[in-house]
Amino acid sequence: MTRFFYSKLAVENIRKNAQTYLPYMLTSAAAVTMYYIMHALSQNVGLGKMVGGTSIRMMLDFGTIIVGFFSVIFLLYTNSFLIKRRKKEFGLFNVLGLEKKHIARIMTYETMYIGVISIAVGLVGGVVLSKLMFLLLLRLLRFDVQMGFEISGSSMVMALTLFGGIFFLTLLGNLRQIHLAKPIELLKGGQVGEREPKTKWLMTLFGLVTLGSGYYLALTTESPIAALTMFFIAVMLVIVGTYLLFTSGSITLLKLMRKNKRYYYKANHFTTVSGLMYRMKRNAVGLANICILSSMVLVTLSTTVSLYVGVEDVLKTRYPKDITISSHRVTDEYIAQLRTHVSGVLEKHGLEQTNVMDCRMLAFVASQQGSDFITDRSVVNGLPGRLRTLLFIPGEDYSRITGKTLTLAENEVLIYSEGADFPSDTLTVLERTFTVKEKLSQFAGASNLAAITGNHYVIVKDMGVVEAIYEAQAEVYGEYGSQLAHYWGFDLPVSGDELVRVYRDLRANIPEGDASVVVETAETVREAFYSLYGGMFFLGLFLGALFIMGTVLIIYYKQITEGYEDKQRFEIMQKVGMSNEEVKKSIQTQVLTVFFLPMIASAVHIAVAFPFMTKLLGIFSLTNTALFAWCTVGTLLIFTLFYAVVYTITARMYYKIVRR
Amino acid sequence: MKMLDVKNVKKVYTTRFGGNHVQALSDVSFSVEKGEYVAIMGESGSGKTTLLNILAALDKPTSGEVLLSGRSIGSIPQKEIAAFRRDNLGFVFQDFNLLDTFSIQDNIFLPLVLARKSYEEMEIRIRPIARKLGIEPILAKYPYEVSGGEKQRTAIARALITEPQLILADEPTGALDSRSTDSLLRLFRDINEEGQTILMVTHSTKAASFAKRVLFIKDGEIFHQLYKGVSSEEEMYQKIADTLTMIATGGARRD
Ligand SMILES: Nc1ncnc2c1ncn2[C@@H]1O[C@H](COP(=O)(O)OP(=O)(O)O)[C@@H](O)[C@H]1O
Ligand SMILES: [Mg+2]
Repeated sequence: MTRFFYSKLAVENIRKNAQTYLPYMLTSAAAVTMYYIMHALSQNVGLGKMVGGTSIRMMLDFGTIIVGFFSVIFLLYTNSFLIKRRKKEFGLFNVLGLEKKHIARIMTYETMYIGVISIAVGLVGGVVLSKLMFLLLLRLLRFDVQMGFEISGSSMVMALTLFGGIFFLTLLGNLRQIHLAKPIELLKGGQVGEREPKTKWLMTLFGLVTLGSGYYLALTTESPIAALTMFFIAVMLVIVGTYLLFTSGSITLLKLMRKNKRYYYKANHFTTVSGLMYRMKRNAVGLANICILSSMVLVTLSTTVSLYVGVEDVLKTRYPKDITISSHRVTDEYIAQLRTHVSGVLEKHGLEQTNVMDCRMLAFVASQQGSDFITDRSVVNGLPGRLRTLLFIPGEDYSRITGKTLTLAENEVLIYSEGADFPSDTLTVLERTFTVKEKLSQFAGASNLAAITGNHYVIVKDMGVVEAIYEAQAEVYGEYGSQLAHYWGFDLPVSGDELVRVYRDLRANIPEGDASVVVETAETVREAFYSLYGGMFFLGLFLGALFIMGTVLIIYYKQITEGYEDKQRFEIMQKVGMSNEEVKKSIQTQVLTVFFLPMIASAVHIAVAFPFMTKLLGIFSLTNTALFAWCTVGTLLIFTLFYAVVYTITARMYYKIVRR
Repeated sequence: MKMLDVKNVKKVYTTRFGGNHVQALSDVSFSVEKGEYVAIMGESGSGKTTLLNILAALDKPTSGEVLLSGRSIGSIPQKEIAAFRRDNLGFVFQDFNLLDTFSIQDNIFLPLVLARKSYEEMEIRIRPIARKLGIEPILAKYPYEVSGGEKQRTAIARALITEPQLILADEPTGALDSRSTDSLLRLFRDINEEGQTILMVTHSTKAASFAKRVLFIKDGEIFHQLYKGVSSEEEMYQKIADTLTMIATGGARRD
């Protein structure tokens, strides 16, 4: 037999199995394209030189790794499916007298052709689409600079190496399987594991517990700092719970249904329950994968979309005033110098400040227990749930901001709380107890920066009281102690470049002395924000597309496998007296259940994760919950639509196989 | 009384893209009386399965008519076909056609569940049948856990449990070893002696020798028939073998 014979046989095999091999090649090509684009973008020289270029670079590098990682997973998964189906064919070859080494040769040719075609198509796609993606990225980042973009040789080499490696790995794995298998096993390859699944109470229980505790963590975590630390644990618990419940929980539930004889021995339940049991046994892991992947898609897309869409909101939250000057370690002399400097600059530009918020304050963190605020060094690493920031403001500054006259005794305070409750009528801190004279319902000086801890603004009689507290906390906290600060924010009747010019003048020659001072304006950080969140958005879209591809792939192969397996079963049922309609209805119930179970489960995951994600977004200063809610619902709807389309197409294929 | 009356049944298969026509049955007529045990013999490809599928309303004849207890199968509306099959016919197939997803007991219950019988009634019905067929100990097992003979007895139990007018069997011994074949054939004979009408198609002389009457099918037509009468199985076996030789050597046709 000539070499030509094997290669021809290989081509023939691929063509004959086009229904399963074509999607595999398409997926491989798409993965190559995505990988090439990600890598090429991360290598782009111009991008690195932009404002925020380093962070974008880091994100793209991260994206490249993720795309590579999931490509390996998806392709190995698909390959394992393909080889399972082909085992029978190879067994037949073997029985007909083709030696294993010949089969190995055919397989090598097959893999080579598939690999070469997929990688070639993928690279062409990558080169063509990368320019487009580059433009999209620039647009999202709001870079309106013309930047060159050329074909990246190093990205080609990387993609070639990675995917060549993956194909080589699959080939090795397949050869090993063929080598180890006996011909009879090969012949039976398609139909092992018909055994009825066992009930696993322990696993089910464990799954319920893990999922429950994951949900509990998500729902009860209060502060975003804790959310960040708990995030990983909760996600892990939910993933483990999902897998266990899909694999063991579903079987346990179905067995319980079967135990109830009156329920089970009904025409519409009988075939459905037993069919579902069989399906769940085979598909539970795949379905759990789909569920986890969908949840990832939804979380990634909804958060990155909200962040990107909400950039202006975020800027408003972070920079409520046009200009913010905050200085620490201040003295009265310093503040006087600062005032002279600022009024000088404003005069030069002929501008007048409005919406002025100008006050001294002392802010430090303490752990709240009722009306007591514990100050201790350990607080710094303490329970985040009860951490509060106390902001002491002298009465005279309060009067100036609000224009109200204030008469407070030495031990009296006004309190305004943000993101935390203040339930009692007294406040004890650093061995001083104050009587709360009034709880304010609003305070013009509040910064809305309540995201990380809860804030209590405490207005005291005068600067003397603030200084006394300053001394006391400096003693307790030592090097972690806070400094007396001055916060000055105002709006100006200008914007854009003009505002930036004022900002530059304010920064130049600003008096410093012992103090440290920061001048900020939203105008200069807007660009950095857009590049950061735009980069995340781009990454979200990209990974979303990748995960959707993975989901579609799994669904597609599931439907095909099941179609072939169910065909015979439904033929038998019809012979025994099941009508066409009954068969159709039973198939529909089963397929729909199996198909939409992961979707429903991930929707539940998302719903539970929502408050949690809201807090996490708080760290990024996105406090617009409504926006996040809409983005989540929107992505969920779009994803469901996508899912439904894939379902319709694959279900039609399934019915065609079953009825053939 | 004629239980089954087959009149001039013809079946031509047309492949999907037109073109090829395969004439599986050219003109088949015969009838079966209540309580009879009829075997239809023929070589592989002679149209036996095709005929059985038509009798079972799983397939429609190109022309001709099939009457069951005087009712034309072709006139039954599509909607009622499944129920008709379930209530009147029992099937036994060469490859058993058991469902792996069901236990042996649930496989037997399947037609009753589809007929929407109560669980209590199913329980009552299965007991005597399972005892008669000797499958009581395996009721809780699954098809992949039992032998071929046990699978076939399960299939028979599934056919009997609906108390059908007629049992149709397609090569029921085809996948069995000789010991299981013997016990299955004795079982069929016993069931028939209790009054069950059976129609079996087979290419096995041994299987046919147990029937009360044997029809020979060749080139899509009934070619010849033999009555067992009072002869023993061994004598019947010899008669059938002689007839087959005669057919093979192109002997004259006689009725
Ligand atoms: N669905 C079909 N389409 C086309 N030809 C068929 C089909 N089923 C059977 N045939 C042909 O009809 C003839 C009779 O087949 P069958 O009834 O299965 O014979 P038997 O059961 O006696 O072996 C054969 O030539 C077979 O190829
Ligand atoms: Mg046949």
